[in-house]
Amino acid sequence: MGDTHLGDLAELHALGALHADESAALEAHLRGCSDCAAQVAAAHHDVALVASMETQRNAPPQMAHRIERIFLIPPGRRSRSAPFSWPMAGLAAAFLIGMLPSLYFWKQNASLHGAMLVQTAAMERLATTPHRTAFFRATPGAPPAEVAYAPDGSWYVVMVHGASKALTVAWMHGGARTLLGSAVPRGTAAMLYLPKSHRMDQLALMDGERIVADAQLSW
Amino acid sequence: MVPAPEGDDAVAAAFAAHRGWAFGEAYRRYASLLYSTAYNVLGGSEEAQDCVADAFARLWRIPDAYSTARGNLRNFLVVCVRNEAISRRRQLGRQARLESRLAAMPPEHTELKLSDPIERDRVRRALLELPAEQRTALALAYYDGKTHSEIAAELREPLGTIKSRIKLGLRKLASALESGALTRER
Repeated sequence: MGDTHLGDLAELHALGALHADESAALEAHLRGCSDCAAQVAAAHHDVALVASMETQRNAPPQMAHRIERIFLIPPGRRSRSAPFSWPMAGLAAAFLIGMLPSLYFWKQNASLHGAMLVQTAAMERLATTPHRTAFFRATPGAPPAEVAYAPDGSWYVVMVHGASKALTVAWMHGGARTLLGSAVPRGTAAMLYLPKSHRMDQLALMDGERIVADAQLSW
Repeated sequence: MVPAPEGDDAVAAAFAAHRGWAFGEAYRRYASLLYSTAYNVLGGSEEAQDCVADAFARLWRIPDAYSTARGNLRNFLVVCVRNEAISRRRQLGRQARLESRLAAMPPEHTELKLSDPIERDRVRRALLELPAEQRTALALAYYDGKTHSEIAAELREPLGTIKSRIKLGLRKLASALESGALTRER
């Protein structure tokens, strides 16, 4: 776009009717041209007016928490689709602190070593790859929990906050349940990493035979 | 956490200065509008949530994405979210969903039904008052999420003509909605 002004592009930009390269050029131009910025602002006003008169819905309450997490770290440190999460980091720290006593036995216990590697892989997944989060609906007295999962169903990480005992994670499907493993408390949190190859729509947390929480996963 | 000032201008200024609290406050103020805007384009709650979150994350990553010279923050955010939603829909190619949402609109976009009494049909009623060629071009852009070149190809009109029709149509539509009195110009 260079020094050329917008012409008829302001409305097209506001409507999303420009191609990506055109929009990028326009945005760059706007940073140095107050006249065109005002023109685009007027077009934004018109589009926002129309949008505001369409069917309105209440934003889901969990969205606020998700949005807030975006702004907790300085810009530039965040990947687009795998946002850094302070709660996740806190959970990871709690988990690692909880694992410290186990470190003492690590050299002597190959199986525990393997488990730690799996959990480390889980934390790396959470920190570096795109994922979604679903919250468990807990029955009274059950600890809050959530599941982070890959959009393609290739892995799941179930996290239980403030768990006092191990809970079993189950996949609920077609009236049946498949036990996937146990989320065992380490410090203040329990975690279970589940590498999988398929998408699971519903997970449950079980205390013995009793379902204490369930989560619906969206795909 | 810094307490949020009450004025929209103060929030907009802090948003332009890239203050985290202002981003959070802006979301709180406009959450339902932004979510609804995304939902109305994408037609699904999960996708709308992803869209709004991605739009905010994108703005957070770009230090000079917004300045007060860009006008009202609310309008700016609506357009950002809407454009993100349109981009996603193009990528996903989910035209079928759009078609069902636009069931009241004939394929040719030459006529619009007026039978639905609810508030959102004020937009459609206002659209009806536009000259047919402006209405068609604007509907293809706004509802179908098509680019100007796609609209020009579909309507077999020069690109410049399409741009002008969309520009004029949008201005008339907004003016009619604001005033509540539709300008009858055929």
